[in-house]
Amino acid sequence: MARMKFICDAERCIECNSCATACKSEHEVPWGVNRRRVVTLNDGVPGERSISVACMHCTDAPCMAVCPVDCFYRTEDQIVLHDKDLCIGCGYCYYACPFGAPQFPQAGAFGLRGKMDKCTYCAGGPEENFSVEEFRKYGRNRIAEGKLPACAEMCSTKALIAGDSAVIAKIYKTRVVTRGKGEELWGWKTAYGGSDKVSDNLGAKA
Amino acid sequence: MKAALMAIAAALALAACHEIPQDAAKPYAGKEDVQPYAGDRFKGDKQKFEQALADRANYENEYLRTGDAKQ
Repeated sequence: MARMKFICDAERCIECNSCATACKSEHEVPWGVNRRRVVTLNDGVPGERSISVACMHCTDAPCMAVCPVDCFYRTEDQIVLHDKDLCIGCGYCYYACPFGAPQFPQAGAFGLRGKMDKCTYCAGGPEENFSVEEFRKYGRNRIAEGKLPACAEMCSTKALIAGDSAVIAKIYKTRVVTRGKGEELWGWKTAYGGSDKVSDNLGAKA
Repeated sequence: MKAALMAIAAALALAACHEIPQDAAKPYAGKEDVQPYAGDRFKGDKQKFEQALADRANYENEYLRTGDAKQ
């Protein structure tokens, strides 16, 4: 049985926001709702890191635990989804989620909240697959088409990878072993030749 | 005797080393969802569906194309 997950490789993410754009475009997500976003730490400082964040489809999902109307469910592939017809927009899931994944569209004046909206792993929701209702409430169902989430497939540097946890963990492991660690990550030798170490080349330049 | 005591002590000490589910098994109160492989594309073949997703995931591994991966 598959366990669908995302991994974001912070060494590769270039903060291009194509994941967030792909998500917005694929599901026609309304203004003010960001199912996926890119967070940058130490922006502008050498060594800054970016990471693409959305619902992580937790194995022990806290949103499921706190929902007062039990509108969350987990698919066979361990994707966490919810029924918008049941959601009352209380916002408990927003407080419980460590990733800020649940989003609430503005439904009226004075900050009135609409029903919760979040990343569906491009798996739609509890409506007939490919129906108009499914698209309107949850967005496109790429999983039923045999495709992976649009954000990961659109990622230009393949920083964001999606799929069965066993498969993507193997891809990530291969990456880490192949690229090494420390200064080699910058690809100094590929770009400038000579030693793999940046520090060796700094001395030569002076 | 000492070994047996050690074994019992180890068993007791390790008894707490497991993960307790954080979410109580709550019933889902909403509508039933249709399986993603139930449509025309996979015609209920779960194995074919999972293979399609695994193949798609492996496209994300550019080392498979370049052959530069270190194992």
